[in-house]
Amino acid sequence: MFWEIFRFELRYRILRPATWIYFLVFFVLAFLFMLLLGSDIEGVNFSIGESGKALVNSPYMITGLTTGLGLLGVLIISAIVGNPVYRDFEHNTHALMFTKPVTKAGYLGGRFLGSVVIAILVLVSIPLGFYVAAISPWVEADKFGPNSFLAYAQPFLLFIVPNIIFTGAIFFTTASLTRSMIPNYVGCILIWVLLRVATSLVADLDNQTVAALIDPLGRAAYTDATRYWTLQEKNHLLIPLSGLLLTNRLIWIGVGILVWAVAFFRFKFSYQASDKKNRKQVPVQQQAGDVQEELAAGPATEAKKETARLTLPKVVLDFSSRFRVKQLLRMTRQEFLSVVRNVYFLVIAGAGVGLLFVSAGQIGKIYDTATLPVTYQITDILGGTFGLFMFVIIIFYSGELIWRERGSGVNLLIDAMPVPGSVFYLSKLFALMLVQVLLLVVLMLCGILVQAMLGYFNFEIGLYLKALFGVNLIDWWLMCVLAILVHVLVNNKYLGHFVLVIYYTFSFFMPQLGIEHKMFKFASDTGMFYSDMNGYGHFAWPFFIFKVYWSGFAILLAVLSNLLFVRGTESGFGGRWKQARKRFSRPAKLAATCGFVIFAGSGAYIFYNTNVLNDYGASGETEQAMVEYEKKFSKYKNIPQPKIVDVKLDVDIFPEERDVNISGTMWLKNKSKTPIDSVHVQLSPDVKIKYLRLAEPAKQVLDDRKQGYFIYDLDKPMQPGDSVQLRLDIAYESNGFTNEGGATQVVYNGTFFNSNYLPFIGYTELGELSGEEDRKKHGLPAKERMKSVYDSVNYMTNALTPDADWIRFEATVSTSSGQVAIAPGYLQKEWTENGRNYFHYKMDTPILNFYSFLSARYEIKRDKWKDVNIEIYHHKGHPYNVDRMIRAIKKSLDYYTENFTPYQFRQVRIIEFPRYASFAQSFPNTIPYSESIGFIADVDENDPESIDYPFYVTAHEVAHQWWAHQVIGANVQGSALMIESMAQYSALMVMEKEYGPEKMRKFLKYEMNQYLRGRSSERRNELPMITMEGQQYIHYICAERLYRRRFTQRRPARLPRQNGIPGSAVHAVAGICEIPAQRNARLAAVCDHGPVRKHYALRE
Amino acid sequence: MELRIENLTKTYSNGVQALKGVSLTIPPGMFGLLGPNGAGKSTLMRTISTLQEADSGSITLGDIDVLKDKTEVRKVLGYLPQEFGVYPKMSAEVMLDHFAVLKGISNRKERKDVVDALLRQTNLYDVRSKNLGTYSGGMKQRFGIAQALLGNPKLIIVDEPTAGLDPAERNRFHNLLSEIGENMVVILSTHIVDDVVDLCNQMAIINKGEVLLHGEPLKLIDTLQGKVWKKIVDKTDVAAHKAMFTVISSRMYMGKVVLHVYADAQPDGSFESQPPSLEDVYFASIVRHQPAKV
Repeated sequence: MFWEIFRFELRYRILRPATWIYFLVFFVLAFLFMLLLGSDIEGVNFSIGESGKALVNSPYMITGLTTGLGLLGVLIISAIVGNPVYRDFEHNTHALMFTKPVTKAGYLGGRFLGSVVIAILVLVSIPLGFYVAAISPWVEADKFGPNSFLAYAQPFLLFIVPNIIFTGAIFFTTASLTRSMIPNYVGCILIWVLLRVATSLVADLDNQTVAALIDPLGRAAYTDATRYWTLQEKNHLLIPLSGLLLTNRLIWIGVGILVWAVAFFRFKFSYQASDKKNRKQVPVQQQAGDVQEELAAGPATEAKKETARLTLPKVVLDFSSRFRVKQLLRMTRQEFLSVVRNVYFLVIAGAGVGLLFVSAGQIGKIYDTATLPVTYQITDILGGTFGLFMFVIIIFYSGELIWRERGSGVNLLIDAMPVPGSVFYLSKLFALMLVQVLLLVVLMLCGILVQAMLGYFNFEIGLYLKALFGVNLIDWWLMCVLAILVHVLVNNKYLGHFVLVIYYTFSFFMPQLGIEHKMFKFASDTGMFYSDMNGYGHFAWPFFIFKVYWSGFAILLAVLSNLLFVRGTESGFGGRWKQARKRFSRPAKLAATCGFVIFAGSGAYIFYNTNVLNDYGASGETEQAMVEYEKKFSKYKNIPQPKIVDVKLDVDIFPEERDVNISGTMWLKNKSKTPIDSVHVQLSPDVKIKYLRLAEPAKQVLDDRKQGYFIYDLDKPMQPGDSVQLRLDIAYESNGFTNEGGATQVVYNGTFFNSNYLPFIGYTELGELSGEEDRKKHGLPAKERMKSVYDSVNYMTNALTPDADWIRFEATVSTSSGQVAIAPGYLQKEWTENGRNYFHYKMDTPILNFYSFLSARYEIKRDKWKDVNIEIYHHKGHPYNVDRMIRAIKKSLDYYTENFTPYQFRQVRIIEFPRYASFAQSFPNTIPYSESIGFIADVDENDPESIDYPFYVTAHEVAHQWWAHQVIGANVQGSALMIESMAQYSALMVMEKEYGPEKMRKFLKYEMNQYLRGRSSERRNELPMITMEGQQYIHYICAERLYRRRFTQRRPARLPRQNGIPGSAVHAVAGICEIPAQRNARLAAVCDHGPVRKHYALRE
Repeated sequence: MELRIENLTKTYSNGVQALKGVSLTIPPGMFGLLGPNGAGKSTLMRTISTLQEADSGSITLGDIDVLKDKTEVRKVLGYLPQEFGVYPKMSAEVMLDHFAVLKGISNRKERKDVVDALLRQTNLYDVRSKNLGTYSGGMKQRFGIAQALLGNPKLIIVDEPTAGLDPAERNRFHNLLSEIGENMVVILSTHIVDDVVDLCNQMAIINKGEVLLHGEPLKLIDTLQGKVWKKIVDKTDVAAHKAMFTVISSRMYMGKVVLHVYADAQPDGSFESQPPSLEDVYFASIVRHQPAKV
């Protein structure tokens, strides 16, 4: 019996077109993923997770891809393996089937195994797709190693097949026992919830084991097993089936078998699903006597026909538009209730809320220390975590609503009612939109509850409303319009769901496929990034305009949906298209015209802003500019150039306009031994140059505005020791908005920019394209490594800002009233003029050519350490960790002055800036400090696991006042040791003094984790500390080694002695976050205008 | 107000020609549309009910162009489809009220009155607050006619309403239909001859998308007067008879087969004269229009 049923199942499924469609979809997806990873298509920059630079067809990568597609595969498994028994109920064949002499084991076993085999065959398309892509002629050979069969087969056998058995068993059991497919959708969601819980747990190093085990699809276990793999391991090793991965697989296969056993024991060959239901469904019977009486009356007689006339009360029919609105409201209400009263809606929403509370505990964790649950963090979580649930609800219930009448067979009754089609369409749309409102209200209440549970009572209701109903809601509404359109167009519930899921997946990869302009991605915007300091700032307006633009588009979609809306029995597309042309009535035309005018009008306005007022630079263009820079100007690489020795500036910051004017002078001095006949000046291409001249007679021989490269030929060459003054008057202005919303340096409240805004002297390799692969793609020669530490020629320059050694610095900074402007130096004078605040700062000691300007409305907390002034400039609502920072400064000054050298300044200032970036950076006696990495940290002194990272970050930054601002490496290997490793080491020492060695363990574990992860995507070999270069992940682990070494004094020192590092110290930048700003000093201004990244890590 | 159908054709995308130039004029009163399963009755009914497009031809109701001015038709239409469902978790009262709103009855009081009246009329008043999911087939059908009668319809279309009902329910339903006023056009499609006999004063027979006969039932029966002959034969002889005579119907009767044969004169002595019934009219028209089968 089993074999007959098994064979029937196979035959039936193989003949179903759906099976082949699934196969094809996955084959194409797999093929495309592999192709995109393995090819070099212009404008396409496709990467997945932390793939690093592993070979595309390495077991590691194929496993990553396979498990990734496996997530989507769950949907297919639910459709294939969930279906076989349900099918009999769906088509009402169960009564026929159950009365045949089949055994339960044969029936369930045959159906289940048959469909499992089909699911396996369908998903074989994944490795097959990979393989075909790998051997296709469109891939770059050097991204691939030799193809090994096991590399493709192993992940399939290790992940896909067990997952089919496990998830298949669940889907099979639920669908068979409930006799409904809907629990399977819910099942998909619950599996996904487990995945999310696993991922959110991974953030904490202590939870990794649990995370690896509870992920039912095994992806977390795979990540765990390969977390620290080096590139070599990734390229050559198969995924080891041992440890957590083995346990994970066994657990979930076991669970699958158990679940199947439940199906076997609970399943009944009965007509009704359960006796309980039977009782409930007892049909109402007419009174027996009543029936008798009717029977006795016999057929309608002629007499009756004559006499009995149906008499109904007279009614007035109302077809006015006022009543149409009432009808619409009533229908909307009914549709809305049909969704929210649905038990599965409650399950999905409940699962989302549950996940919300799980992730709420992990808010903003850095080093396992959470931040205070400030409202924006909560709304971020609400939007992020719950977003997928909203999406699922939209996909699912758009289908349910569209098919509601047809599902219960009421459609023909309703369709013949004298109601315009738009009332039907709109009632469904509005109901779905209302559901979103309801969900957001629930979210808001959850958010407040989470805050209260975490002991935080500063509920910013206004911000909740803005974030959820001002920002989030419109996106969901647009999605509602799209989802309904898809369901109307596709006119097949399941296919509609599938199309929407594919759309959702695809929308993630659009930027990587080169579709970057926000005008082409439905419902997108330039980002709406909230900062406590700056609110939504300048993002609000482009956001609004983009939403107007997409709303216009949505109106067009809505009109289309309404025209094609199925009414009556005409469901073929051709027939509906003909109908639509008849239905295109005046109101529809009016709506379409309105939609089009809004869409086109706002579209033109957006285009004007992003592409006319601003330079729309796709990511490829930036790269191209760097290539051009190198090709054009690298011939000037080694020509002697004067160095900046003195900077005196007037900086006018206009926060409201987001403009900056900089005028002033720079003295340039010929420090070389040869005369210099030309001065090369570089500026960011974004700058507006009003005046840029040398004070000596000179001819401008190159004026390349596109690259921002200018050459001045001096009439009289500068002799060694000569100086020349560079006079400048430049401006950085914001015009309209860009595709990314606009730069975040100069903002309404919380301006922070640095010396990158000022001219750079000479050519710099920092402006060259650095990625090995990128260089190869553009036909540039491989870049030489950093200069040897033994090459004394380079001792005269430094790696980071080679155009100056030490400088004298003075600046007058002005800003609008109400704000304080800050630059390095001591405040000489402060005054108000023309309604603006002026601050005159001056340095009395030489500093690096590295300075910053900040402006915002600040609260200032002052303190003193000996004769050093301590000032913390912070946002009004962020007083939480200010004292902690002051304490850190004092302890740092204690330790560093005692163990290193005296402090060279008389003040230390920490200045908060908005969380558009999340780092702290040390400038001379001035430390800008992002609001996101300490000001709202929730350090629990009593929790041994909680790390006081505001303290640590502060100590690190103060250490840079020594390690960078006193001792600096030359432009050779190893200089990073003296900057980053030493600063880190110093901070560790201060931390240890404050918290004791016990508490350091957890911290060091994180450092180790960072190192191992960094190493895992490194292609080049690691260099010893003395010659370290560009491998940032090593900088910090060196400090850890230095720190640990104190406990093992007797072992021979593995570290080079420090005075072994030559270099008389020139120049460096310090920052806990070594963002490209450092390596790409010249382009930093460009980069700084680049996209605001939505997700930040403390250190990348 | 009469309904005029002219040259209506419809071919489905799978090639099935459902209507082949149907022309009918339907006066006020009960009109029976008789035809076997798959004759095109439902297609015709759905087309009149604005739920389906026709390929060509025209339908007018008074001066309303049914195919174009769907909204106007719907304002005066009451439609009971052949198969329909209900929201199982809603009560008859609530759902009928909902339909009344859709029909355009804006006054709450009027709506309540008419809903109550209809529920009484259809004998559903006692179970009005029960969920529709618990209704039996007949009750559901009565609910269907109740909703069709909402809002003073001028055109009522009832598609195979008695299929699957038990005799008592069928009676009850016929009584209901018979009470519907004469001022409106009521089209009753059915494959059960008795439905038409009981209720209709005008009728048409339709098969394979074509109108075969059209007229008053009694007059149509008259046309067969003296042309229907009956003979009771053994089962084994049926085939031979079918080859020799125009057999319009055969049915089992106490182990033997009763044949009705169409012939202008008595075929032979073994046949006896049979007064024609509407059933004979129906079968005769279908048989005569079929290509001769051997």
